[in-house]
Amino acid sequence: MSDIQQYLYEVDKHKAAAKDVAQNSARKLESKELKLINLITDLEPYINAKDDAGRRSNSIAYLADVLDAVSPRVLSGQERRLLVDFILNRLESDTEGTGSSARALLALERLGKWDSTLAQRVLQTFADHANPLKQFKLQSERYAILQLIDLLMAKYRTALQSLHDSDQNLLPSFIALFEGEKDPRNLMIVFSVLQVPLAEWDVHAYARDLFDAVFNYFPITFKPPPDDPYGITAQDLKDRLKGCIAASGECAPYAFPALLDKLDSTAMNTKRDVLHTIQACVVSYEPKTVNLYSVTLWDALKFEILAAQEEDLVNEALKALALIATAFSTGMDGPLTAYLRPIVKECNEHLEDAPTTQSRAAGRILHAVSSAAPVVADRIVKGILPTLFTLFKSSESIAKRRGLIEVLNEILKAYIDMHASGDALIVEELKSHSSDALEVMLRAAVSAPKAEVSFRLASLNGLVQLTAIPKLLSDEEVERTVDAVTDMVLNEHTTGHGDIRGEAIAALTEMAHTVPQTVRSKAIPAMMVDLPDSPSDDTSYRATLEALARLSTETEIFDTIVVRLKSRLNAARHHQASMSYQHALLLALLYAFTYGSPLQEDGAVRSSYFGDYAEPPLALIKEAAPESRDSAETEIVGRITNILLRSQTPHYQSTVYRTSLQWLIDEQRTKCASVQSLAPLSLHYFAALRPEVVEPTDVHNLLKTLGNLLLDGTNTDASTSVLLRHITLLINKFLPAKSMQASLQDAELDVTRLLTSSPTQQQIHISLAITKALILLGKTSALTSTYLHLLLDLLPTASAPTARAFATLLAPDALLSKANHCAISPLHKQRTFALLTQPLLASLKIAEPSKKQPYLLALAGILQHIPYTVLQPSLPELVPPLLQVLDLPTSQSTAQDVKPPILAILEAALLHDPDTLSEHASSLISRLLTCASPPPKPKPVSAASQPTVTPSTTTAPPPVNSAAVRAKALQCLTLLPTHLKREVVLPFRRQIIRKLVPSLDDSKRSVRTEAVKCRGAWMGMEEEAAE
Amino acid sequence: MDTDNKDNPNPTILNASDLPTRQRDAHAAKRPSLFDALTQDAYPNYATTDLSSPEASDDSDSDSDPREEIDEQEIYDLISTISDPEHPTSLASLAVVNLPDIFITRPASSTSRLSTVKVLLTPTTAHCSLGTVIGLAVRVRLEQALPPRFRIDVQLKEGTHTTADAVNKQLADKERVAAAMENGTLVGVIRNMLATCE
Repeated sequence: MSDIQQYLYEVDKHKAAAKDVAQNSARKLESKELKLINLITDLEPYINAKDDAGRRSNSIAYLADVLDAVSPRVLSGQERRLLVDFILNRLESDTEGTGSSARALLALERLGKWDSTLAQRVLQTFADHANPLKQFKLQSERYAILQLIDLLMAKYRTALQSLHDSDQNLLPSFIALFEGEKDPRNLMIVFSVLQVPLAEWDVHAYARDLFDAVFNYFPITFKPPPDDPYGITAQDLKDRLKGCIAASGECAPYAFPALLDKLDSTAMNTKRDVLHTIQACVVSYEPKTVNLYSVTLWDALKFEILAAQEEDLVNEALKALALIATAFSTGMDGPLTAYLRPIVKECNEHLEDAPTTQSRAAGRILHAVSSAAPVVADRIVKGILPTLFTLFKSSESIAKRRGLIEVLNEILKAYIDMHASGDALIVEELKSHSSDALEVMLRAAVSAPKAEVSFRLASLNGLVQLTAIPKLLSDEEVERTVDAVTDMVLNEHTTGHGDIRGEAIAALTEMAHTVPQTVRSKAIPAMMVDLPDSPSDDTSYRATLEALARLSTETEIFDTIVVRLKSRLNAARHHQASMSYQHALLLALLYAFTYGSPLQEDGAVRSSYFGDYAEPPLALIKEAAPESRDSAETEIVGRITNILLRSQTPHYQSTVYRTSLQWLIDEQRTKCASVQSLAPLSLHYFAALRPEVVEPTDVHNLLKTLGNLLLDGTNTDASTSVLLRHITLLINKFLPAKSMQASLQDAELDVTRLLTSSPTQQQIHISLAITKALILLGKTSALTSTYLHLLLDLLPTASAPTARAFATLLAPDALLSKANHCAISPLHKQRTFALLTQPLLASLKIAEPSKKQPYLLALAGILQHIPYTVLQPSLPELVPPLLQVLDLPTSQSTAQDVKPPILAILEAALLHDPDTLSEHASSLISRLLTCASPPPKPKPVSAASQPTVTPSTTTAPPPVNSAAVRAKALQCLTLLPTHLKREVVLPFRRQIIRKLVPSLDDSKRSVRTEAVKCRGAWMGMEEEAAE
Repeated sequence: MDTDNKDNPNPTILNASDLPTRQRDAHAAKRPSLFDALTQDAYPNYATTDLSSPEASDDSDSDSDPREEIDEQEIYDLISTISDPEHPTSLASLAVVNLPDIFITRPASSTSRLSTVKVLLTPTTAHCSLGTVIGLAVRVRLEQALPPRFRIDVQLKEGTHTTADAVNKQLADKERVAAAMENGTLVGVIRNMLATCE
């Protein structure tokens, strides 16, 4: 049996086997076992099988498969040429197997490049004899032909173009070829093939046909099948189609009207595609072509903005308008004038009845168009501002004036946007109006009634923009503006509605960026005047000081501000001003260094700040006697020290440790009385230090002292907290993990010792602080686990506050952070959760109801700090105890404390794992309702004297939770109708809507708001059912 | 464009910053300082005897404070966010709902617990055909959100509408209101209007 017979035998049943046969033939050709002529001769009877189209097609497929498998250089140029001739000749009389012919030709081209004539002939043959492609029913067949044409377009572009130039009849049949194609993969090729003549050939005579051929597909409404193996998206098709439409300006006469026609569509997606395509056309067509349609486009696009439907469509329309202006911005003066004339006219008309939706839209249009290029902005200013100011002056209405200023701001913003993107602005025209604008805005900002908030804010915004446009205002004008805004910051004391100091400070901060010199020389001195050396009362300076602190977010003026604050602090000390004033100044410095923009060097805050701003107050603390140290001041100075020191190099820190702050260590070691007074400073200072800087013996001594001090038990609540945090910090940062237990024993801080035989409150708290340090460290798992179990053993007899104190273990402490060089194990929460939850749940299971409280409080304290994703897998076991926490008696403050975080966990569970909660729906709902129930309403004042029968007084007062608990419970309840299954919650609907009525009259507004939302959510359910 | 069949295609829109918002209580002069965040540690102090959490000590939430009565601003906040049926804008920014046009009458006698809320609406145009719908939506919203001790009275403001009397009669008639809420289309419209309410 010859190869072809074998192939024909297999091809319909076993594609792969058939391929093997063809490959075998290819091998034989290579090894010269088979001559090409013989192969063709063998093929002949089948390829010409008159009555069997399938057989003819399959024999071509065989030829294509063989050629595909054959290696280069096996066939001579002449042989390849003969084969091409053979295939093309056959095509002329028989279109059976055209797809395979295309494959064969593709294979032949791969084996050796064609000359122009041959390429032309191939295209011509297909255009003449395979036309239209839709006659081939199989997608794969058309796909092969399209691939061949695509190849010709890619590699033989000049040849094809000259064919087109010499034969005017080529293009029509070429266009006809693709008619009716619907397959997305094929269309991807069709679009890219058609783009070539559109973009490169002279298609004037057939522009309409070409355009129609592609525009037929507009808009693309293709939705890829769910598991589409080809990965073609609607967007891919849209992009290619858009490329075709935008490819040739010759299409403009057809494209623009057709697109604008589709813009009237009611389908948002179609509108979106139209706008994108218009943008592409405007960018790629010649400006002189765009010029012919610019006004028509404006007339259509403006409606998308003036009668806005969807925000993104507005933005696309604005972008299109801007692109048209950009097209004319380089040397197309006439077209630009013609385009801008109707825009200016229309916008001016809308200004007349400002403020309306349309005047606002006009502002957006002007912003978009002005942003196109400096020259365009200049023209817009020339066209709009005279009318705008005439209208402004002729109206007394503040609302109208505000609307006009808002439009002006839009135009100014265009200048600032262009300046930011590096364009060289043209400010001549704007300059001629700048003093008008400045006057108008200054007057509005300074003298308008304080209640006209939007008017004043718009003006303030305008002033910021005027100062931000380079070379617009004179120095004197800038100074007046800065003065005016500074005055608003300093001298406006409106409270409530009309208070725009916050915005004024923000405005001044922006000005500090654009005109730093003026802010430095005018605003800051004016503000410093408001800060006396020794103020008479405590409230007068506060606002100014806060304003200064907020200005420090601008790097340009940061140093000026901190220098001034420091000198004022020195003066205040010198004049023995009140401590609260001194604290406020220190706090302002701390704020500046924390939230402001101090100068940096080598990736850290500049080291000289430490010497300038931390060392002087540190020296004062050093000199003070322990009993005269002020703990608030010590803490603020500690925080300043921390923020300035912590990012410095080990070398720098080492020097500080051994020289300027050596006294702190010494004093803590020698004078026990000092430890407590220095603790706030010491805590923040040690937090700043890198572990390698510190002497182990110093840490050891300090830990011992701190422990003894705490066990004394004579500290205030606040200082206890500081001392405990200090212990946690020192252990976490400085004790070696390897010899942890020995180190703790040395420091007399071994939890095993501390907790033997009925420990005191202090011992328990110290133990918690120590264990917390180990948990965060995460490297002493055996020891941590021992300590945790010792702590758990306390629970059966623990008081409520002790059980609640378990929350310490995972409570986040801002000081224990990576920035403070602490060792923070990334998995510490997961580990602790795993270690503690199971024993707690087990104890809860066996405990009598009356003994459950300590376990519940401890569990809640742990869970409140565990990220939801960590506890989520254990949710099924956790829900019952969580619900029991909600049952804890409302009379205890510990229980009140613990409920909001537990409700937050339930809320997260409702959002993410509603199914877990479904089975508890009934008990969840009843508990949430109990948590939400409002306090009994006091009888109306007038009725207090004579008892009247009101529902709330007839029954015993219901247990009342705090407002925070009530609000949070209502928030959870709100989620039920939308997150639990309908059939689960529907039975409760009536009852809940009724039971929520008292909450509508809760004594707290915030709770009422939640009750309204919650009730709305439940009432919304029935409406869904009605549909 | 479907703007043509709107009663008022280009209404005046108030700026959000000019709308009335709840003022800080006058006695709460001690506003929080900018620097508070610097010294108040978020770190809870469990080692103290008095365990008051930050949430509970938050001044506005403390239950020992006097009751916050339902006032005009609260009514305003309830209805100001209702959307206009023909513009994607709130009733407040269209000035259909205005704070000075909301009146609360406290119980007249010591034996009565009944307060009255009266809301006067200002339609955007005098012939606005949607006056009734807006009135109905406001009414429905208040009925859902206020405790039952409030009687609700929604009217079009005098002189703002050509058929104000007829509309007012309709809004005051309980039976007609109830009948209107049986109408599926109307219920749908009102639901959409209320969808923007928080």
